[in-house]
Amino acid sequence: MDEKLQEDSLDARLRDEAPYIDDAGFTARVVQKLPARQVRRSYRAFLFLAITLAACFAAYWFAGGTSLAIDAYTNMAMMPVTWMWVCAAGAALLVMAGGLAAALSRSRGRSR
Amino acid sequence: MALADADLVARVLVDDDHHAFAELVRNHQSSVRGLLRNLVRSDVTLADDLAQETFLKAYKNLRSFRGEARFSTWLYRIAYNCFREEARKRKELVGIDEAQLEAEHDPQTVDPALRHDLARALELLPVHERSAIVLCCQNGLSHDEASRVLDIPLGTVKTNVLRGREKLKKMLSAWGSN
Repeated sequence: MDEKLQEDSLDARLRDEAPYIDDAGFTARVVQKLPARQVRRSYRAFLFLAITLAACFAAYWFAGGTSLAIDAYTNMAMMPVTWMWVCAAGAALLVMAGGLAAALSRSRGRSR
Repeated sequence: MALADADLVARVLVDDDHHAFAELVRNHQSSVRGLLRNLVRSDVTLADDLAQETFLKAYKNLRSFRGEARFSTWLYRIAYNCFREEARKRKELVGIDEAQLEAEHDPQTVDPALRHDLARALELLPVHERSAIVLCCQNGLSHDEASRVLDIPLGTVKTNVLRGREKLKKMLSAWGSN
């Protein structure tokens, strides 16, 4: 019985005598040493979009500008309706696939 | 409302949120620094350096935290590995002077001017017993969790806790402080 009491009192002392260590700037020092934050995804996406738009504009400009747009409009107007539907469905599928991929990668990041 | 460790970890992983990581450090700094102070025998500067290294390693390897164990257990494991790496360089962190330990058991040789307390008794234990006692009795880990932190079999943890306790009791009774 004495043995048990002694053991309990030792355990209690071990627990009680473990002091709470005051932060005293420790957290700030750790955070200061963290590697710089990665470029945010939204910023990267914006950059990617800007480069794509600039490339499109350059292609449009060097390919003859206005005449290219008129030719494209005429070609599309002459396109059979079935083809128009196929193109629209293809574009919709592409957008859906992109959205799905983004959602999946985000949910994977959260579950880790 | 304070966020749970899992939410803070998710924020760090998804948004690289330094504020969330700072919250994790604030929540666990005391126990990690306390563990390391016990392991390095109260060398506060070295313990804090190792604690800093522990949190930086935790940040870099956060993706490998699967959430199967408690976040604190995972941190203790990193802290213990940091200590082991340091102990390989400094033998005095692991070694124990057996003659000194015997002298501490003998009430005739105890220096009455010294304040002999539990912390001093803990310092005199060999590192494997000290780490098991600190993790299980001070930090509240189960034997199973401690065996994962220390990377030793469960039976060895139980033996180390038992032997460490016996030695502590002997020392404290020899000093008349229990």
